[in-house]
Amino acid sequence: MKDDMNLLREIERYLEGEMSGQEKAVFEELRKNNPQINRQVEEQQFFLQQLQHFGQRQSLQAKMDHLHRQLDMPTLRKQAQEENLAAKRVSIRRRTITNLAAAACIALVTSLSTIAVLQNAAKNKSTAQYEDVRRVLNNIQRSQNALINDINNKSKAPTNPGTYGGTGFAVSGNGYIVTNYHVVAGADSVYVQNNKGEAFKAVSVFEDISSDLAVLRIADSTFKSQPLPYALKPQNAKLGEEVFTMGFPRDEIVYGKGYISAKTGFNGDTTAYQVSIPVNPGNSGAPLLDNQGDVVGIVTGKQTTSDGIAFAVKSAHLKRLLDEMPKDKSMKKEMARKSHLEGLNRLDQIKKLEEFVYMVKVYN
Amino acid sequence: MKQHQDITRDRELLLGLAKSDDKSLETIYSENFPAVLRMILQHNGSEDDAKDVFQEAIIILYEKACEGNFNLTSRLKTFLYSVCRHIWLKKVQSTYGLYAIPPEMEETIPAAEVVDEHSTKDEQFRIMESAMGSIGEPCKTILEDYYIQKKSMQEIAEKFGYTNAENAKNQKYKCLMRLKKLFFDQYNTSL
Repeated sequence: MKDDMNLLREIERYLEGEMSGQEKAVFEELRKNNPQINRQVEEQQFFLQQLQHFGQRQSLQAKMDHLHRQLDMPTLRKQAQEENLAAKRVSIRRRTITNLAAAACIALVTSLSTIAVLQNAAKNKSTAQYEDVRRVLNNIQRSQNALINDINNKSKAPTNPGTYGGTGFAVSGNGYIVTNYHVVAGADSVYVQNNKGEAFKAVSVFEDISSDLAVLRIADSTFKSQPLPYALKPQNAKLGEEVFTMGFPRDEIVYGKGYISAKTGFNGDTTAYQVSIPVNPGNSGAPLLDNQGDVVGIVTGKQTTSDGIAFAVKSAHLKRLLDEMPKDKSMKKEMARKSHLEGLNRLDQIKKLEEFVYMVKVYN
Repeated sequence: MKQHQDITRDRELLLGLAKSDDKSLETIYSENFPAVLRMILQHNGSEDDAKDVFQEAIIILYEKACEGNFNLTSRLKTFLYSVCRHIWLKKVQSTYGLYAIPPEMEETIPAAEVVDEHSTKDEQFRIMESAMGSIGEPCKTILEDYYIQKKSMQEIAEKFGYTNAENAKNQKYKCLMRLKKLFFDQYNTSL
């Protein structure tokens, strides 16, 4: 203990430079030879430094506390709070505006896309429910047709039976035929073929897209005109009235029977009827006739979602359309005033009608 | 506001601080405290928090200034503000665990290094403080008077009623040995 203290005293004297030259030399020699003493000297140096720091920091702390007490805290507090409030208000306002803008954008996008989706869906629904009954001719039918063409060799029509098929019927004795616009739409060339297998080249002379009707003219020298046995009925057919149709859903003429089931067509279309009658692809453009043998409509399509619901354009509309047609088409207005089929039984009516119902073949 | 002032004034203030010039300290203190107060209050701190954080930053600045090799590259205000922000951030994170750092709290100039450097010195200071606190009187005052206030042994002997300076000196050595023991015991265990 006493030695330690003496050593400490020596170290302190050494560090503070109180030693004389000789003492100092001796001590340094001791320090060099005795690592323990050397360590103690360094320790003392470090410790004094620490103590120095401690003192400085304490005095600094004291000074700062003194300064702090001199500060006008209430004023500073008030200033700080006011500035913070202002800053917060600005940041809140900015944040609100950003959020509002984002919300508005989302709302806009959502509503626009909803509208788009709904419109698209509505369109899809319509097309899904409504189906044109034109026929896509497949290969088997083509071969059949080729056979028929071979037998009835009078025809000069190409053996290729065409891409699409529909039905048409004569509206004048001199070769004007009505069919559906969708049958002949986009056609390169059109041929019509009657039940005897005679085919004639035809050209579309008038089209009305809105009511889906097209008027064709037979442009073939071999065609012989003959008077029509039926008339277009100018009045609307009554609800429940019995009707029949003849068309070419296959390469043979097919008879179908039904009744007017509604006075409007698809989606409330007033220019058409709803008809409960079996129709198949290929029936497009087929005439719809009543018991007297008058044409009351033209079959255009059917509803896909339920069976036996077909649609037919009203004959009155067709009549109006024919009247509107440019007069220079040299169509004879020789449509029979009165049906020659009235009073005949159905079999005879059909037999007479057959000749005036054509298969429409479209090449494109 | 003295926004566009030259950095040279800040450098002069720093030199003054290193020389323990009271006027410089006062200028630095009164000019920078309000901004720090505002920042701490804004981030859920109290006035006392602001005082502690700011004073710690001043101490860091002081230590840096004393080292002599500190080159002030930014404005003093920016330096103090960043350091304060970092200290407060550390405090908040250690108190509330994983506290989401507000984006506006992110640092303008990196102060992490400065603060970390300081933490060693702070540790030493705490150890010395506790050693001084537990040594008791009259040792504490004798040591403070001699080593920090640089009073002569004669003065101290008179103050404490020792018959001569030699007795006082012996007492001082005893005290110093005790303090050293207290200090190094803690210092070595904490390392």
